[in-house]
Amino acid sequence: MTASPPGIARSGIRRHPIVAGRDRTERRPILLGVNDASAVSSAAALATFVFLATIAVVITRPRGVTEARAALVGALVMILVGLVPIREAASNVAGHWNVLLFFVGLTGAAAVAERSGLFEALAGTSARVSGGRPRRLLVAVVVVGAVVAALLSNDAAALVLTPVVYVLVARFGLGPLPYVLACTFVADAASLALPVGNPVNVIVSDRLGISAFSLVPVLLPAAGAAVLALLGCLLVINRRALPDRAPVVPAAASWASWSVVPRPLLAAFGAAVVAFAIASVLDLPLGPTLTGAWLLLLVVERSAGRRVAPLDGIGWSLLVFVAAMGILVDGLAATGVTPWLASLLLGPVRDVPAAVMAVTAVAGAVGANLFNNLPAAFVLADAVHSAGLSAASTHAAAIGTIIGADLGPNLTPVGSVATLLWFVLLRQRGMEITTWSYIRVGLIVTPITLLAALVVGLLLGIPR
Amino acid sequence: MSAQSPARRRLLVALAGAEDPSLVERLALVAGAGGGSVEIELLHVIDSGPRGLARRGPELRARPWPRPAVAGMDQRLSEAEEEGAGAILAAWSERFAAGLPGAAIETAIRRGEPEHEIIAAALECRADAVVLCARPRTGATEPGPRSLGHVARFVVDHAPVPVLLVRHSG
Repeated sequence: MTASPPGIARSGIRRHPIVAGRDRTERRPILLGVNDASAVSSAAALATFVFLATIAVVITRPRGVTEARAALVGALVMILVGLVPIREAASNVAGHWNVLLFFVGLTGAAAVAERSGLFEALAGTSARVSGGRPRRLLVAVVVVGAVVAALLSNDAAALVLTPVVYVLVARFGLGPLPYVLACTFVADAASLALPVGNPVNVIVSDRLGISAFSLVPVLLPAAGAAVLALLGCLLVINRRALPDRAPVVPAAASWASWSVVPRPLLAAFGAAVVAFAIASVLDLPLGPTLTGAWLLLLVVERSAGRRVAPLDGIGWSLLVFVAAMGILVDGLAATGVTPWLASLLLGPVRDVPAAVMAVTAVAGAVGANLFNNLPAAFVLADAVHSAGLSAASTHAAAIGTIIGADLGPNLTPVGSVATLLWFVLLRQRGMEITTWSYIRVGLIVTPITLLAALVVGLLLGIPR
Repeated sequence: MSAQSPARRRLLVALAGAEDPSLVERLALVAGAGGGSVEIELLHVIDSGPRGLARRGPELRARPWPRPAVAGMDQRLSEAEEEGAGAILAAWSERFAAGLPGAAIETAIRRGEPEHEIIAAALECRADAVVLCARPRTGATEPGPRSLGHVARFVVDHAPVPVLLVRHSG
């Protein structure tokens, strides 16, 4: 981020004209040597072009280019054309130490959880609880998915839990589609509950200088409302797809039990959750807390006799992606693009926290579907930051942005891309029917969960 | 017409699994008492669509989250699918053997899109008719508009042989 004094950013009371920050105006001549209006707008156009081109590559992935590599190249271009000075870029990356450590700890902990058999044990429990009743099984899957998403992030829930649930449902002889969709949707719906639930949560609170924990009293109930709304929608949508009883009911003993997870590791997971709760009360920085929890899990895993490469499963590419995205957005901020966006979106309502929350939620959801929710959250958070809102409005904007960017991606299966483009891609892969069922469900579920979370956010997050 | 035994009619019964067990009695009414004159092939199709969605998570989400360790995951998914399909066909074989004591019963598992696989199976096994439920995963379906699921709709539209459509009366 730009070199704003941390104390001021943290309290969120910085006020200056919406158009552009003082610290940013000084950097414009670096590119063009002049500081007139047309130079500003051409620099802004260039920055916007670099950003959008990068996002386009991230989404379409020509020739299998990874997201991280695309973002890295975009960030380098931003530096090379002089929109972001290299020292600024370096301090930007260094300034994100908390977020970057956070991702190391989070992806590491998720990898330990995946190796430990925790997901299988959770799935086995939901199978036994369901007693072979498909509706009860759907409820159990949603509950398990919500817990996993809240504690281990939405991607862990969607990517790791989905195949496990698939195995479970296939053994019941049921059609897996409703359950696979439930996993994907609940992963995002529950992800706003805690800071660890979604990279967006940390990115937004970090950029706005708000403690991620301070939003939990609002976002946890909001996530609960979103999950309940989702569950209601899924039960109604699938009312004709779920029979009264599963065709096959495997013996209860055939399901994975909790004995597959080593006891000490289970205790370490419990300890990590408690440590996390204590850290949230003490308001410790998230990155070191989570990395510490991961190291603890790793030590216990090794002492439980599991020989694993400790760095397996760390999301290095996620780190690169986030760092590069920070630089790209810095380019947008420096050339006045995000301040312009802020005046466009928040100008008329900046002093009404409830309206700020609603606008940012909708903008976050739209942005998440136009490109991808991480860049959308970055851009929106920076826009809010540059607007210099009052403390109450900034708080409301953080909640709104998180709700929008967390829940929005459910609309289209990718949580990104113009749906049309996505259709073309999937048609080549021969998945039309599944795609349709996803989009049909997403179109119904997303506005409803978004509204449910927003209503709770407005009720609890606006000081009266 | 079946080549080896023209006297016996060959019925292909497509089963999603959760059909009402009264399906067997209804079929017995059509096939004749004892079912001695029919060969029955029970078919369950493992739908390939949802699995694509389950496995393609990382690609679909367009987010650089580390790929889950997929070693053996495909294998586990396949085993679970086959276990479920096998159990469905075993349960229905018993029901058919009890309800149509004279009938010769075979089972088959296919993978793919159910509607296409049912048609392909009907051609391959030279079925004289295809039997399936209107909405195999729901309870009662009264006759009327939209009373067929998309699989039944497709089979009715495309089957090269007569289709016997069975409804649950609830």
